[in-house]
Amino acid sequence: MAAADSSSAALRRRDLCSRGIRLAGKMRSDVIDLLDTYVERQGLDASASVAVVEGVPVAAVERWDEQTGTQRLLENLAAYRAFRALLAQMLEEQREQLGEADAALGRALAAVLLQVSAFAYHLEELLRLESRGPPSEEGAGPPPPSHLGLFERKLWGLGVLRELAQWAVRSARDLRQLTKPSPGSSLAPSPAESP
Amino acid sequence: MFSGWNWVAHCLYLLLNICSLEVSGGLVQSCGHIIPESPVLALGSNFTALCILNESCLDFGNIYANQIIWKIKNKVVPKEQYREINRTVSSVTFNDTSSLATPLTCNILADGQIEQNIYGITVTIGLPPEKPKNLSCIVHQVSKLTYPMTCTWNPGRHTFLDTHFRLKYRWPQENFPDCIPKDVNNSCTIADVQFFVNLEVWVEAANALGKAESDPLVIDPIEIVKPLSPHNLSVNSGILPTVLKLSWENRISVAVMKLKFNIRYRIIGDTNWMQVPPEDTASPRTSFSVQGLRPYTEYVFSIRCMKEDGVGYWSDWSEEKTGVTTEDKPSKGPAIWRIIDASCSPASWTVHLMWKALEPFEASGVILHYEVTVRAKSSLSSPPEKYNVNTTNLTLKLPNGTYEVTVIAHNRVGASPPSVLLIPASNTKAPVKNVRTLPKDGKLWVGWTAPNSYVLKYVIEWCLVSNSSDCTIEWQNEPGNIQGTYLKGDIKPFKCYLITVYPLYADGQGSGQSVKAYLQQDRPSKGPTVQTKKVGKAEAVLTWNHLTVDEQNGFIRSYTIFYKTIDGNETAVTVDPSKTEYTLSSLTSDTLYTVRMMAYTDEGGRSGPDFTFTTQKFGKGEIEAIVVPVCLAFLLIVLLGVLFCFNKRDLIKKHIWPIVPDPSKSNIAQWSPQVPAKHNFSSKDQMYPEGSFTDVSVVEIEADDKKSFSEQDLKPFDLLKKEKSTSEGHSSGIGGSSCMSSPRQSVSDSDEGETTQNTSSTVQYSTVVLNGYRDQTPVQVFSRSESTQPLLDSEERSEDHAGGSDSTTQRQQYFKQNGGQDETNTDRPCFERTKQITPANEGDLVGFAQLQISGQSSQLLGLGLEKNTQEAALLGVLQTSTEGQTVRPETVEGNPLSVDEMPKSYLPQTVRQGGYMPQ
Repeated sequence: MAAADSSSAALRRRDLCSRGIRLAGKMRSDVIDLLDTYVERQGLDASASVAVVEGVPVAAVERWDEQTGTQRLLENLAAYRAFRALLAQMLEEQREQLGEADAALGRALAAVLLQVSAFAYHLEELLRLESRGPPSEEGAGPPPPSHLGLFERKLWGLGVLRELAQWAVRSARDLRQLTKPSPGSSLAPSPAESP
Repeated sequence: MFSGWNWVAHCLYLLLNICSLEVSGGLVQSCGHIIPESPVLALGSNFTALCILNESCLDFGNIYANQIIWKIKNKVVPKEQYREINRTVSSVTFNDTSSLATPLTCNILADGQIEQNIYGITVTIGLPPEKPKNLSCIVHQVSKLTYPMTCTWNPGRHTFLDTHFRLKYRWPQENFPDCIPKDVNNSCTIADVQFFVNLEVWVEAANALGKAESDPLVIDPIEIVKPLSPHNLSVNSGILPTVLKLSWENRISVAVMKLKFNIRYRIIGDTNWMQVPPEDTASPRTSFSVQGLRPYTEYVFSIRCMKEDGVGYWSDWSEEKTGVTTEDKPSKGPAIWRIIDASCSPASWTVHLMWKALEPFEASGVILHYEVTVRAKSSLSSPPEKYNVNTTNLTLKLPNGTYEVTVIAHNRVGASPPSVLLIPASNTKAPVKNVRTLPKDGKLWVGWTAPNSYVLKYVIEWCLVSNSSDCTIEWQNEPGNIQGTYLKGDIKPFKCYLITVYPLYADGQGSGQSVKAYLQQDRPSKGPTVQTKKVGKAEAVLTWNHLTVDEQNGFIRSYTIFYKTIDGNETAVTVDPSKTEYTLSSLTSDTLYTVRMMAYTDEGGRSGPDFTFTTQKFGKGEIEAIVVPVCLAFLLIVLLGVLFCFNKRDLIKKHIWPIVPDPSKSNIAQWSPQVPAKHNFSSKDQMYPEGSFTDVSVVEIEADDKKSFSEQDLKPFDLLKKEKSTSEGHSSGIGGSSCMSSPRQSVSDSDEGETTQNTSSTVQYSTVVLNGYRDQTPVQVFSRSESTQPLLDSEERSEDHAGGSDSTTQRQQYFKQNGGQDETNTDRPCFERTKQITPANEGDLVGFAQLQISGQSSQLLGLGLEKNTQEAALLGVLQTSTEGQTVRPETVEGNPLSVDEMPKSYLPQTVRQGGYMPQ
């Protein structure tokens, strides 16, 4: 019975990892497209550099390959929960600013928001499979940068999307790392998936 | 009295109650109400309604629950379904709501007489929704980023109620707004879905009677995607003539879905698609090189895609794009054949070389020209003749012999392999056997039995056989290992084709074996035209011509001859189609027959025109069998008659040829011509004293005894008598009688002989005393004889003859004078009468002549009636013959009178006086 449960959990984990990787890839692709649309609609320059954005988790990490699976999942979950709040805020601001005039941008933002939410669900499910339930969400995420001006808010949104694109790449790699056999893990190696 | 007031008050109350309801809309309460109010009921369920009366109505209106009547529409519900719960409440129960209808009313009978409506409700009957079934979803990609998902389901039975369907879907951690169908109840489209997360989808149906949900469908939408087909397909020819490279763009991101492909292609104009092996295109790509194509051929390509793992749906086929492969050398030489015409010269042939243009897949390009090489096999030393030809035929005049003809096709890339044909001196090789044809699938199949020797290939020649056009030969080549093929050409139905199969060997060819065939047969377009060649009493020989090949429309299998009489049954006779003649026998003689003929093919027959003929009354030889004996019998009778007459000639002569009195013995002989006035005879008795002419009485007897002649023969005598009697008062002398006796002379002078005869035969004898007789001087004096004895023809003729030419002149004068006198009186009637008489006279004359010369040959008798030119000779004969008979010699010799010597004038005769007056 326990073996059956273990096998089922392994399949479930592999399935979640597999689809998570593809979702991350799809999310990255969509975010890239959204970035183009965002830059165009907000009147920004695609080459505009955005420094560290307040409240946005950074994808870059030192000693990435030394992280454990659970650690990767937790970091990812935290990041995507943050992005879910940020994107929801961006969507609301976009609707306030542009109203229904730019429905395409709104739809694209909503789609990415859904993917972020779905990916967070994947991560939570994986954490449950790790016999470690997902941490509870701490509040509603980072407060909106109300002190910023309109242009800065646009740049802030550009920074959020760029960082999300980075996170999509990292998440795919993290999940692929999770699918690799590790000592003490009964998971069979899954076929390589690229985002 | 009280009750009457009470009743009036009750009515007023009810009236006010009703009016107040209508006017104030509820300010005044009604006398009751029904529970439940407007229920929605499930079909087939039971239902109970309560009618509750207001207390206020009880006291004033004397209305109680036991007076309640329930009605459905206007139909009273049976009281068995009522139940009085208390004095104000009545219930009605329906075990099956299907018997319910709207409205259901509660009524009362006021004072047991007036029915009043208290309340009514609307009842709605329907069914609760069924659980939606067969939920399925598909994600249609409509753009690169848009993936609407359409779900369909079976809504179940009709509920008769307003039923709402909702498509619900959710993620485990997130709910989404419901999808509400528009205008339909079995599908709904979710605008956009996200992939790689399981989506739970279900359908909820709800109406007033309940709610039902379908089984949930949990699916990752990525697994039900029907992607957009690849686009911007392009086809480029590669380096090789058998390869084309396809390129395209995918409209779905690799991040979303990895794709596999199907590539199909066909030659343009062809309808059948070929497909690249799926395993060759089972991985994501945007280009593919299709190999194994035909050179210089235009292809059409199309492509589709689906998720690489095969989960989901294939896209539609992309738009079609065409590409042409590059040229290559012709893959084979053209098929070659020949027609040898040896009729021009015995020492040489006219050879018509023909070859087929290569099919496009064989030509592998544009054929620029053909190279024809003719090499004489007998003289290897002589160089081969080469010809470059742009057409597909070549006519050569070659000396008799064996030749090897080679044809090579050239295109821009190169030359084809050579096609070789031997033109042999004679077709001495083994032919094929048992050539046969079979129409099949609208084409004509030709089969044959191969000869024992190895055959390189076969040539099948065919041409349309027609009366209106020449046999234009078409042909085709077939490989030597087959024994049947379809004719590759425009084979028309109902046309006759002559098909010949030639086997070609490595060292020559066999003789052709031919067969005629039709792709499809029909009835003949017309039937044979039959006619009779010979018709007999009981048989008729019918002939007809074969139908022309254009009229046959098929193989004539038989002819059928139908013949019948007008009222008889039709008889049919089947005739072999090779025949053109048939004899109908056992026919009825002298009967009209109608005959027609039908020609039959395998598909039926057609009749030709009707022909009628009548069989003969007598058979062959029957008429001859009747006529010949009759003629012989007639001749025998005639002969017997002649013999009889010959034997009885004396008796006949006595009766019809009396002895003519000798004029020389007449008493007129004593009359002197110089003193004619002295001869004033007053009567016959004076002229002919009794006893001097015994024979005169014979003439008179003849007249009486005319019955011995035929009536026709006697007619002239009657007429003469009549004329004589009539001329007594008008005419005078010989002029009147001359008119009667010689009518032709009044028309023409040329018939002197006849005139003379007529005169001699009809005119009473005149006793003429010629002075010139016996060398006496002729005196122009006439004396009329009273005798009616006709003159003998021979005698008159001898007189004519003796008269010579002078007599003609005299007679002319005589008739002139005569005509002058009778011109107005007798000329015309005389002529008309004479016309009728003349034949009789002539016949009469014949009769006389025959009698005269009875015992002579008939030839002589005929000659006696010849014209004047022959009369002289005839006269001699007659005289001679007469002399040999019993005619008295003195009659002839003693008749010296000659008409020619008749006097040039005459004396008018006064008959009554019996004498002549000098002119």
